[in-house]
Amino acid sequence: MSVFSKWLQERIPISGAQLQELTNEPVPNHLKRWWFALGGTPAYLFVVQIVTGILLAFYYQSSAQTAYESVRYITQEAAFGWYLRGLHKWAATLMIAAVILHQMRVYFTAAYQRPRELNWVIGMSLLMCTLLTGFTGYSLVFEQLSFWGATVAANISDAVPVVGPIAKEMLLAGDTYNDRTLSRFYILHAAVLPTTIILLVAVHIAFIRLHGVTELQFEDEADDRPKHFNFFPDHLLTEITIGLILMIVLSALATVFPATMGPKADPLTTPEVIKPEWFFYVSFRWLKLFSLTFAVLSTGFIVAAMFLWPWIDRVLRKLTGNEDISVYIGIVATFLLIGLTVWEASVAH
Amino acid sequence: MDESDGGQELPESDPTTRRGFLEHAANLSMAGGLAAGYGMLGLQAAQYLYPAEAGQTITQFVCTLNQLKVGESLPYTLPSGAKIVVARQQEGETADAFIALSSVCPHLGCKVHWEAVNSRFFCPCHNGAFNAQGEPTEGPPAAANQHLTRYPLTVEGNLLMIQVPLNSVHVSGSEATA
Repeated sequence: MSVFSKWLQERIPISGAQLQELTNEPVPNHLKRWWFALGGTPAYLFVVQIVTGILLAFYYQSSAQTAYESVRYITQEAAFGWYLRGLHKWAATLMIAAVILHQMRVYFTAAYQRPRELNWVIGMSLLMCTLLTGFTGYSLVFEQLSFWGATVAANISDAVPVVGPIAKEMLLAGDTYNDRTLSRFYILHAAVLPTTIILLVAVHIAFIRLHGVTELQFEDEADDRPKHFNFFPDHLLTEITIGLILMIVLSALATVFPATMGPKADPLTTPEVIKPEWFFYVSFRWLKLFSLTFAVLSTGFIVAAMFLWPWIDRVLRKLTGNEDISVYIGIVATFLLIGLTVWEASVAH
Repeated sequence: MDESDGGQELPESDPTTRRGFLEHAANLSMAGGLAAGYGMLGLQAAQYLYPAEAGQTITQFVCTLNQLKVGESLPYTLPSGAKIVVARQQEGETADAFIALSSVCPHLGCKVHWEAVNSRFFCPCHNGAFNAQGEPTEGPPAAANQHLTRYPLTVEGNLLMIQVPLNSVHVSGSEATA
């Protein structure tokens, strides 16, 4: 043992063998299929968001007078600003898509069932935090669509019974969008929500380690094959590969479809065609179809049902005697989700 | 420090004895003190975050009563810069004779605009529409029977006064002073 490693061993009293044992969670073979590695994808993209977000924060100024100009400076003048902003924007888009795909995979393989109910709830919380981070981040650009999107969203929360009006005032720092609103969005986007996400991800991963990954057996797999492989280095290499592919995809997207800027926010005029970010198309169309009270209450009901699905699923299976009842409901819900999104995307009003 | 110090097991105290009761009381009051102290800090933080000036309004002069005849209207600019119209609907010296419609859609707060072709106020956010009196005709506002809000008007002597919100977003310094 060299002098240096001896010095290090004394200060960090853990051996390489111990470290390997700690990280070497046996990974079920089905994780070699890419759609089972979708949980690591948002985690990787989240790291991209932290790094690019910190860099953007060096120039971003969160006041109504300066926000738009500072984003313009980042996009047009700062060296590689356009690239970093493009990465941040596209990693956000892919992160939300990956979280949704990961959740769908967990849902359709019924991995949320006993004893993993609580980890589903944590996953749902992560989905909510991710959507909120996306929403607050988009508002920071302070362009017309993001300004009016924020106004609409705050007024939606106003319609929630009991807590709604207070939630709206807390979000906007007043009863309408005002000079102190943007800094709230900023601190939520850059400090409160990311910290919450980090804590939730830590618990999420701890639960996975405690329960182990759900074991799945595929029909085309031979029975005599080893059922597990090592996390280190086998699965880590898979994740590194996914990370590199994501970087290539992000770079390509940021270059070919760079983050643009719409007209600056004008509190006096709502633009003729107004749309939220794509991941809110569903709720935006829902709001056009029904009265506000019904739309808000039904959305709350759906979200609550999603949180409680592991238990609802159990009751449904008992009542219907059909083990796959959740799969059928999931298929209908997925088509509804895609249908409403496409509908909203294809029309102006 | 010697590790055996912390490893010593304390005997389970019996709350029915005087010593046990005092121990429990001491623990409880300590936990209560901590909860009260940190709770107070949390409460102060919540109060700090709660907006102080929510709902603040200001009363401003619009015109003298005889400046506005029945059927006439007057453009008026709010402190936020928004332009609204104050109109006189009938004879009378009370505020009921006048109307000042807000351009904020009661559904989700977007700005409506007047569509001359369709003679209606239209909200581009969720396709809400209102007639010239601010009554809902289409979209979610019609479903929920939400009217365009009227700014409260008062008459003081011979003066028509309007109560308008003070809080708004000022997009750039130059526009605010212009």
